[in-house]
Amino acid sequence: MSEHAVKPEFWGGPWMRANLFLGMTFRDYVRSLVTPANALAAAILLAGLPTIAYRFWKGLGATTNLSQTNAWGIWVAFDVVCGVALAAGGYTVACAVYMFGQKAYRPILRPAILTGFLGYALVLFGLIVDLGQPWRLPYQFFLTPGTTAVMYEVGWCVFLYLMVLGLEFAPAALEWLGLVKLRRLLGSLTIGIIVLGVTLSTLHQSSLGAFFLMTPGKLHPLWYSPFLPIFFFVSSITAGLGMVIVESALSHRAFHDRLDPAAPVDLDRITLGLAKGGAIVLFAYFFIRLQGLVSSGRFDLLATGWGAWYLFEMLGFILLPSLLFAFAARRSSAKLARIAGVLTVLGVILNRFNVALIAFNWNVPDRYVPSAGEIITSLTIVTIGVLIFRWIVNRMPVVHEHPDWRGAH
Amino acid sequence: MNETQLLSPYAAKALEYALAVSYLLLFIPFWRFVQGEAAPVHALGFGWFQVPNGVHLHAGHAWARPEGGAVEVGLDDFAHKLVGPLETVRFPEIGAPVRQGQKAFTIVAGGQPLDVLSPVDGHVIEVNDAVRAHPADALRDPYGAGWLMRVEPRWLTGNLKNLFSGEAARRFLDAAAGKLAQRLTPQLGVVLQDGGTPVHGIARALDEDHWDELARQFLEGK
Amino acid sequence: MDLNRRTLFRLAAAAGTAGVAGAAAMSRASVVPAARGARGVLVDTTRCVGCRACEAACAEANALAGPEKPGDDAVFASKRTTSPTSYTVVQKGSLKSPAGEDRFAKTQCMHCVEPACASGCVVRALEKTASGPVVYHKDRCLGCRYCMIACPFGVPKYEFASATPLVKKCTFCAERQANGLVPACTEVCPSGALQFGMRADLLEEAKARIYANPEKYVHKIYGEDEAGGTSWLYISDVPFESLRLPAGIEKKSYPELADGALSAVPFVITLWPPLLMGMYAFSKRRDEVAAREADGRQEGRHV
Repeated sequence: MSEHAVKPEFWGGPWMRANLFLGMTFRDYVRSLVTPANALAAAILLAGLPTIAYRFWKGLGATTNLSQTNAWGIWVAFDVVCGVALAAGGYTVACAVYMFGQKAYRPILRPAILTGFLGYALVLFGLIVDLGQPWRLPYQFFLTPGTTAVMYEVGWCVFLYLMVLGLEFAPAALEWLGLVKLRRLLGSLTIGIIVLGVTLSTLHQSSLGAFFLMTPGKLHPLWYSPFLPIFFFVSSITAGLGMVIVESALSHRAFHDRLDPAAPVDLDRITLGLAKGGAIVLFAYFFIRLQGLVSSGRFDLLATGWGAWYLFEMLGFILLPSLLFAFAARRSSAKLARIAGVLTVLGVILNRFNVALIAFNWNVPDRYVPSAGEIITSLTIVTIGVLIFRWIVNRMPVVHEHPDWRGAH
Repeated sequence: MNETQLLSPYAAKALEYALAVSYLLLFIPFWRFVQGEAAPVHALGFGWFQVPNGVHLHAGHAWARPEGGAVEVGLDDFAHKLVGPLETVRFPEIGAPVRQGQKAFTIVAGGQPLDVLSPVDGHVIEVNDAVRAHPADALRDPYGAGWLMRVEPRWLTGNLKNLFSGEAARRFLDAAAGKLAQRLTPQLGVVLQDGGTPVHGIARALDEDHWDELARQFLEGK
Repeated sequence: MDLNRRTLFRLAAAAGTAGVAGAAAMSRASVVPAARGARGVLVDTTRCVGCRACEAACAEANALAGPEKPGDDAVFASKRTTSPTSYTVVQKGSLKSPAGEDRFAKTQCMHCVEPACASGCVVRALEKTASGPVVYHKDRCLGCRYCMIACPFGVPKYEFASATPLVKKCTFCAERQANGLVPACTEVCPSGALQFGMRADLLEEAKARIYANPEKYVHKIYGEDEAGGTSWLYISDVPFESLRLPAGIEKKSYPELADGALSAVPFVITLWPPLLMGMYAFSKRRDEVAAREADGRQEGRHV
């Protein structure tokens, strides 16, 4: 650990060139940004940002297909509800590394935390876009707290957890900035921060399910269950594992040149380890979902169209990836594990969409279909997340360790 | 909620318990299956390419082993498997100078000449005539009988600083293996999984048309 | 940090007690239990003639644009819903009475005894008052629209067209009630279909009417148990579903459905940290032992 980390000299100096422009001059850096991927991102942002501005100018009705019967659309179902589930990799990997002592997963811990941090930030962004009067968000904390509301608990949890994720990721940023004392202070707080993070995650992941406890008449009986909070919590673990498998595979390829050649990471081995965990948790999740079905007693519904859709989700996106993960672990096939990871992620998205959008209001003739404005907005939010992720990984010690801080907490 | 209860309350509860018990019974074999003996990960996984102790690797995949006052030089396990059996080795003259990082000799495989960079500074004092006569044999024992030449070093301590040895050498080869692994096809993966290598070298199997460019990327040590 | 099991257990016990106390306070997701002074309205649909004077009175009392097509019975052709600009609508029933008359029912916010909307509102913009009305504080609402998701009757309506949207629904004329007046709709009803009073008294009145005419009325008061009880009660001589009053409403209050999940929160907050720290301590100890054994083996080799 270096005792003399040089305080960065900012404006225009060599630090800026090395750390902001990836070692290039400003002109070369800008030129390097002209790629097809960036062109696509720019196109999405060019369509999406004005849409978001229009939404704030003209109101929700102008940009969305929300209606009096369908008060929640994909901004809630995808950006908020799915977003929270898919950002669960942060707490699952942190728990594995610190609580279970599985040090083998250290190399993917920081990318998972970054995914989590950006994921929750995007959830907040999506929430701000969806709320009718988002500037009143702080009212629930400081003005008239609705303590009986599930959303109150979710609000506090997400708010605190966003800060916890920030603290969990801050060491990487502090290493990048060379702020040694602050970095050391945070390192000493790691365990406490992780415990807080896992507790908060358990609470709000399950509470997103609790939202729908009050809607038995509106949510199709095959998806409605008094155990929804438990289902959401357990599937958040599977979502986290699946996302980490997918994200690490993509990052390893995309950020290959940021990896440390002196410390090669056996990503296949890590992936197979995660696959084992995924197999077990998905297996258990499948059975508790079955218990929910048995508890409701509504086997008659399995013969309906909705029943087929339910079985599609259960068999194709919960049982199947569980078995694929098991085979992948057995055959040491990281590729099969990655396919199963994608299926798992799609399965969680499908489940959240079913509960919040598709099987919700299932018996109402006026069904909701997202508008173009809503779709482009959601795409924009995701694109912004990916761009920020890339910016950070290209500069900060996320997929490699900072040479001064090898092996530190 | 209970308008269409198919079962009586007793039967329904019994079914819940039955499901839970079935799950437990299924869980045990499932756990054992998942945690059981995993297939060995051969396909270019960790430790697939060998490097013995005492051998120092150059970034261009030549190796140097100090022996007495001289240095034995050869081509490492990775490079051999990459290019496949050698057809010819164009050795330098005895007494010719070699510089670390500069071309030392040329190997020819699959009709393509490929330059190999020298791991040390010095001048050549001996070449392996056995390999000159039967170049394809070098592949079988790259660090032993497959040595290629002996060099009298000019500045060994300085040279060694620029070479990988021991753990660092293994990591270097693992990183090189990793680069190859990204280009693996399923069929090739199966071949490698069984511990074998393609007959004409891995590079040829990966990219029939531009295999020599692929091989050069590694041999040039960049 | 030196963790021993005794400290952990003591911490957990203290936290657990706090958790239970917290749970007791948190579990009752409803805001105000059915108070003695709670008001209500008895809607006797056998007396309603569909004149829609209540709609006009409501619009006037709330400074809204008047009801759609006043006096024009064509509005009854399809199912009607309330909207951000009309807090109450009269529905025409799909069935005629046994005597062959049309039947109508006024629909609006039911002002449930334990409202899902109020319990679920994150900023208490919707609040159940002790006197009965579920009121809306427009200066608190942040527009999450959860009230719309939660309300089993589909009552709250949202101003999607506005840049500063608000939730709109029947107010039960809470301000008029506070000033000793009766709700505007009940004041103008010419046929006596709407009767305003104490909820407990109205229940008695409703039962009395049904007992007095058992062949005439359906033997049920809609709103007595629906959603745990509502302030607006309906009696009728045709099935309630034919009057567009939602069927399938739970008999218990909707906030009760979320009780279990909410009461678990303090328990998770108190139990997770010791559990997780315990796992951390365990795995740390296991690593230390393994490291010591490895060193021991090294030592043995050197000897």
